[in-house]
Amino acid sequence: MTEPIESRETMLRDVNAKPRSTVVWAAALVLAALPLVISVPLATDILIWGIFGMGFNLLLGYTGVLSFGHAAYFGLGAYASGLAMRYWGAGIWAAIAAGVAAPMLLACFIGALAIRRRGVYFAMISLAFGQMLFFLALSPLKHITRGEDGLTHIPLAEVFSLPLHKPVPIYYFIFAITTVMLYMTWRILESPFGRLLRAFRENEERAKACGYNTTLVKFFTLVLSALYGGLAGALNMLYLNYVPLTTLFWLTSGTIVMMTILGGKGTFLGPLVGAAVFLFLQNTISLWTPRWELFVGAIFVAIILAFPGGIMGTIRTIVNNRKTARLQKRAPAVPSEG
Amino acid sequence: MLLRTEGICKHFGGLRAVDGVDFTLKEGQLKSIIGPNGAGKTTLFNLIAGVYRPTAGKVFFRDRDITRLSLHQTSRLGITKTYQITQIFPGLTVFENVRIAAQSRVSAFNFWRSTHSFAPLNERALEILRQVELLEKRNWLASTLSHGERRYLEIGIALATEPQVLLLDEPTAGMSVAETAMCAGLIRRLNRELRLSIVLVEHDMSVVMGISEEILVLNEGRVLAEGTPREVSDNREVQRVYLGEEKYA
Repeated sequence: MTEPIESRETMLRDVNAKPRSTVVWAAALVLAALPLVISVPLATDILIWGIFGMGFNLLLGYTGVLSFGHAAYFGLGAYASGLAMRYWGAGIWAAIAAGVAAPMLLACFIGALAIRRRGVYFAMISLAFGQMLFFLALSPLKHITRGEDGLTHIPLAEVFSLPLHKPVPIYYFIFAITTVMLYMTWRILESPFGRLLRAFRENEERAKACGYNTTLVKFFTLVLSALYGGLAGALNMLYLNYVPLTTLFWLTSGTIVMMTILGGKGTFLGPLVGAAVFLFLQNTISLWTPRWELFVGAIFVAIILAFPGGIMGTIRTIVNNRKTARLQKRAPAVPSEG
Repeated sequence: MLLRTEGICKHFGGLRAVDGVDFTLKEGQLKSIIGPNGAGKTTLFNLIAGVYRPTAGKVFFRDRDITRLSLHQTSRLGITKTYQITQIFPGLTVFENVRIAAQSRVSAFNFWRSTHSFAPLNERALEILRQVELLEKRNWLASTLSHGERRYLEIGIALATEPQVLLLDEPTAGMSVAETAMCAGLIRRLNRELRLSIVLVEHDMSVVMGISEEILVLNEGRVLAEGTPREVSDNREVQRVYLGEEKYA
């Protein structure tokens, strides 16, 4: 054996390599160039749903909690920011802040009430809350939310004298925020909390036996994912200059589940890839048939059968298998010390 | 007394899985719990570790009543259990399995600092991997380890939480004869060298008789006998219910 001091240092280096943010900047580069390849509105949708998905993925992909009412956070973010701009003349940053804060408060409430419920029970409770919000906006609060018509007459927004109602400026505005969120997500996943989430994804029971308060972890993650959902909703409001009632509809909740699973739950880029593939298919197929849901559904089934872990999840499995094969090949050369 | 239960009971409907057991563990002791299948060994573990709430009775740790604490809270106090069916983090590396357990003693809710900068944790994880002889495979995914190695890894995970009491639930289950002997050696080392107090549920009589200071025999949820390995193996009742059965198993 080599002298222990030196080998200890190399050991620490190989098990605990300094994490590199390359993946964040590479993804940002691709997103920056996206409007050159596909239409700007489609690219904008991908960013908004990508942010929504990143937050949803933290919850579903890591803690395994299925929220089937995530439209509540998305829609509430959109309405809160839209109402703030329309009725209180809030500036764009204040509106975004309102669009983030309101869903986080809602998540605190739902979480305190229901996060201990497992699996399908939590999914049902979250769905019920989502539908409650939908019907609230539809009729009792109609005089504020404009009910079925959706929230209109939101003043046009400007940032640093960029007109945000034009497609390209709003795209790059949302792109900047997406990059920040990508970086934030990456930092979180590399932090002790993020490492815990990864462990949680692998085995919740073991994490609990290690002394982690798993209920608290789920609660925090729910609130964190509401932050992303609310932000995505607020950006959607800025982009459309309008809040359609459908942002609160259960179909929105279903779509984010599909996108996340399609891209690969529990992977860093999965939600973004899932949103991109889903929206691209929807966009392309709806050009030649109004029954696009049928085809997107069929393709969804086909992809999930071919890639059980979602697109990025399957890629990760392949990479991991290669790595394992390499390590196993090398193993006999290093005699294990008895 | 380090750990003590007082008339502890757990009933599942009509089944009295554990029925009024007084269990004690002294500081630094290695004590085994044996008994036929369904005697209530694992249930007793789960009652001590806070997985189940007892139907009646109390659990004390250093004279503190811990009856109503849950699993993660008893773990924080220093009572760590391993599972009859291996519980590891299969998709993480061997190193990360142990590191994440060590991290639980430092910082769970830090969202921003990179784990790269928590150097003592990394050092500690490596030290534990050396103890459970998995250092060479530190970069392997835990799912690619052999059965025996996984059992070792689980012990490593438990050690990383800096336990004062280690509850080992059939650690040698499914191991080969050679692996079993090595595992028994490891458990003895943990007890003698690291001065860990250990409670062991085990089916392999050679392991139990070889390394335990004291043995508690359970049968149908009740204490049948208690004493040194010699006293227990000389006990008529024990021979009838347990050891006799073991001979043609």
